[in-house]
Amino acid sequence: MPATLAAAPSFDLDRVLASIDTMAAQAPVAAQLVSIADAEDTDARTLARVLASDVALAGRVMKLANSAYFGMRGRVTSLQFAVTVVGFTTVRTMATVALTGLDDESRLPEGFWSMSTCVALGSAALAPRFGERPQDALCLGLLAPLGAALLFHDDEDGYGELCAAEPTAAGRRVAEVRRYGVHALRLTAVALEQWGFPPSMLLPLTAVDDPASEDGALLRAALEVAARLTVEDHVPVPVEELTCGRLGEDAVPPVLERVRTEAEELRLAMLG
Amino acid sequence: MTATSATAESSVPPEVVSSVFYGAAVSDTLVFLVAELVGGTPRIAWGNEGATRLLGYGLADLRALPVSALVPTLRGGEVRLLLRRERTAWMTLPVRTASGALVEVRVTCTPSPGGRTWTLRLVPVDHDSERALRATADAHEQRFTTLTERSPVPTLLSEQGMRLAHVNDAFCTLVGLPAEQLLGTGWMASVHPEDLDGVIEQVVAVLGGGDGETTARLVRTDGTERTTVIRFAHLVTPGVGAGFVGTIEDVTERLAFEARLAHQASHDPLTGLPNRTLLAGHVAQRFRPGTGGLAVLFLDLDDFKVVNDSLGHAAGDELLVEVATRLRATVRPGDLVARFGGDEFVVVCEGVDQPEAVALAERISAALARPVPLGGVDVRPHASVGVTVQTAEHGDAEELIRDCDIAMYQAKAGGKGQITVLDQRARDRARDELRLVAELREAIERREITLLYQPILRADDRTPVAVESLARWHHPERGPVSPGVFVALAEQSGLIGALGLLVLDLTCRQLAEWDRLLGAAAPQRASVNVSALQLDGRLHGAVVTALERHGLAPTRLSIEITESALARDPASARAVLTQLRDLGVSLSIDDFGTGYSSLAHLRRLPVDCLKVDRSFVAELADGHAEIATAVIALARSLDLTTVAEGVETEEQATRLAELGVGHLQGFDLARPMTGAATAAWYAARAR
Repeated sequence: MPATLAAAPSFDLDRVLASIDTMAAQAPVAAQLVSIADAEDTDARTLARVLASDVALAGRVMKLANSAYFGMRGRVTSLQFAVTVVGFTTVRTMATVALTGLDDESRLPEGFWSMSTCVALGSAALAPRFGERPQDALCLGLLAPLGAALLFHDDEDGYGELCAAEPTAAGRRVAEVRRYGVHALRLTAVALEQWGFPPSMLLPLTAVDDPASEDGALLRAALEVAARLTVEDHVPVPVEELTCGRLGEDAVPPVLERVRTEAEELRLAMLG
Repeated sequence: MTATSATAESSVPPEVVSSVFYGAAVSDTLVFLVAELVGGTPRIAWGNEGATRLLGYGLADLRALPVSALVPTLRGGEVRLLLRRERTAWMTLPVRTASGALVEVRVTCTPSPGGRTWTLRLVPVDHDSERALRATADAHEQRFTTLTERSPVPTLLSEQGMRLAHVNDAFCTLVGLPAEQLLGTGWMASVHPEDLDGVIEQVVAVLGGGDGETTARLVRTDGTERTTVIRFAHLVTPGVGAGFVGTIEDVTERLAFEARLAHQASHDPLTGLPNRTLLAGHVAQRFRPGTGGLAVLFLDLDDFKVVNDSLGHAAGDELLVEVATRLRATVRPGDLVARFGGDEFVVVCEGVDQPEAVALAERISAALARPVPLGGVDVRPHASVGVTVQTAEHGDAEELIRDCDIAMYQAKAGGKGQITVLDQRARDRARDELRLVAELREAIERREITLLYQPILRADDRTPVAVESLARWHHPERGPVSPGVFVALAEQSGLIGALGLLVLDLTCRQLAEWDRLLGAAAPQRASVNVSALQLDGRLHGAVVTALERHGLAPTRLSIEITESALARDPASARAVLTQLRDLGVSLSIDDFGTGYSSLAHLRRLPVDCLKVDRSFVAELADGHAEIATAVIALARSLDLTTVAEGVETEEQATRLAELGVGHLQGFDLARPMTGAATAAWYAARAR
């Protein structure tokens, strides 16, 4: 085991966790969106009104609503309609991306967004096979790597080395636990719970490491799809193993094709 | 200690603090634990009554329990995610009780200053109510899924925007694709590209609230199209946003059926050509008053009846179909060929002048004239063609078609296979005739037709025995209209029945009037002329009604029928005449000798009198008495009386008497007179 993967003396999980709390103060509009998007009494008009206060974020929502993924290319002209098209969960996810600085690629591990969008689209495409809503799966996929970003923010060099040494998602999680005491997806779950995301979105993040858990099956499959598309020399893991037998290998090629087609557009929409 | 806690301490009296602490310690509804770091491991240091009750540990066992043993899902270093040094953290996770069971709780963990002690508050998640709620929601979801999946109605479901979360089997079957390819926005690829905007427009409206409906074609994987009505209903999922439920009705068969019905309503079933209704609409749609270029060709097959009568109706139909085919093949693309009815066809062309229209008519005539093998013989169909090209004078489309009809009749009158273009003079004449017909109808309705009466005298002693009613029409502007004109018009336009009834009624009324004025000196009988067209089953009833209305005996009436009328349908004429004869009405054959009546028939007809035509009377002056002599002799041999018409001179009267004629009628003997003048004439004769 390389020495650099030992627990970094400088790493302070408490500091990383504290940063989750302080982010809200730095991006108040995004924080408000994260807070209200889940409220029962929030409607598209209210959400659009708040969203309009953050021009950059509003622009991204408009761009996403007009993307091929939502099938409305060029037809969405009002923010309120855009909110309706992409859904409240997606607005909340985009606000979270803005809140956590994930829209600044210079402060993220290399290939972060390529991986994120592939996980997101793969997850959305496969969701109906697991009885899940595609839009929730898309959001979870987009937010899942948040923990990795937080670790990278705090330990840029160390995390960079860790990623280089462990190209597989599962191996990386083991290394993360070894180095930080917690893996990135677990960290994401803590952050999302902190911001009030529903347990249904947290469960897959905590269950992803348990190969017998059906709760983590979709996310494992999506991570595999993303790996096949973005990691060079990736050795495919049979999706049947990853999904407790719920998905056959024959389901993967059309998903790979669709994800490959739409990933770049989604990335551009998410980053503005 | 922070400034804040110092302030709090200073503002909260010690007895209150101890009271709150005591309450928390003994509460069995609040669950508190305190954890502290012992040798680098966080362990439970204290728990209140509620904690021992919830977790099942005695207080002594609870103490020294590692926090990690209490929260088994937080593995490795994850306990640190809960036990934060400077901030409160919360998590929903299972805690292990003394019995080993896991209880789902929401843990709120608050650090003490110094970072080595934490207060954990545990609130059990209300499993029962939450599970019940989830079960209810799941049951709803299950019902909905079952309903839609098993429904034969193709259904789409989107919980968010245009993206589908669900399609049922019926929709997959409809478009021929598996659900995987339709979910998301994949279903939009099945909508016909030309209809996609309409569908999206509806979805946009429905996402904003309310319901919507649109007609769209769906393209199946095999390339076939289905026309559908898609009905959208607004759907809201809390926390997700607006979506829709779409139900699809496949209306392809219904539309096809409606199209077939519409086609049948506007097309001739035999030839498949547009019918009269469609023709009228077609011409009306293209007719622009004051312009030209719209031509109508009206075709009537010559001798079609001969084909039907000789080869049968099946052959007739075959001929019509062949004519339709040839017409379609001969006209220009875009020209309309319609079957007007029977053996009449109409061709409508746009953007042509008169020479071009005539050229087309000639082309059609040539195409039709090619032989058609029918029932073993070659038939060469010929058509009389009327051609009309729209002029500034045409006020509407109907006028144009009517003119063309007139042109066709002129062509027909000119001989078979003729092409006639309706010129201005012919058009004026036809229109004048139409106007006159309308005026004649009014004149009959207003009883403005008057009668003159011409006495009929016995040849031997010149005693008047009867009068003949002669209809007269004095037009308010045109003056007197000749009976030869208006009677023929009445026959052509279907007014002859009404005119005949009027003459019959006026005659009977006049007879009754003369009876009242003159008593026994009144004319004993009046002759009324009846057209061939009146010679049907209704005549008997009309005569009876007229006689009864005016209280006259049937012997007071004589009905005059032309020889040619009898020749049309001798058997039927004989039946009608027999009825009248049985009634007691006497019957005369008018203009005898000018037609072609069979002498054999004559013997069997129940007639009383032959009227010798005025042309034979006129010939007497030239020394030609042969025909008059023959007619009179024939009548005598059949035991019929005779009346010689048109007697103009005394010489003629004398000669006719010598030949043995029974009665005379003529201008020189007695002119046609009004009813009053006739009464005076009779009164004078009686004296």
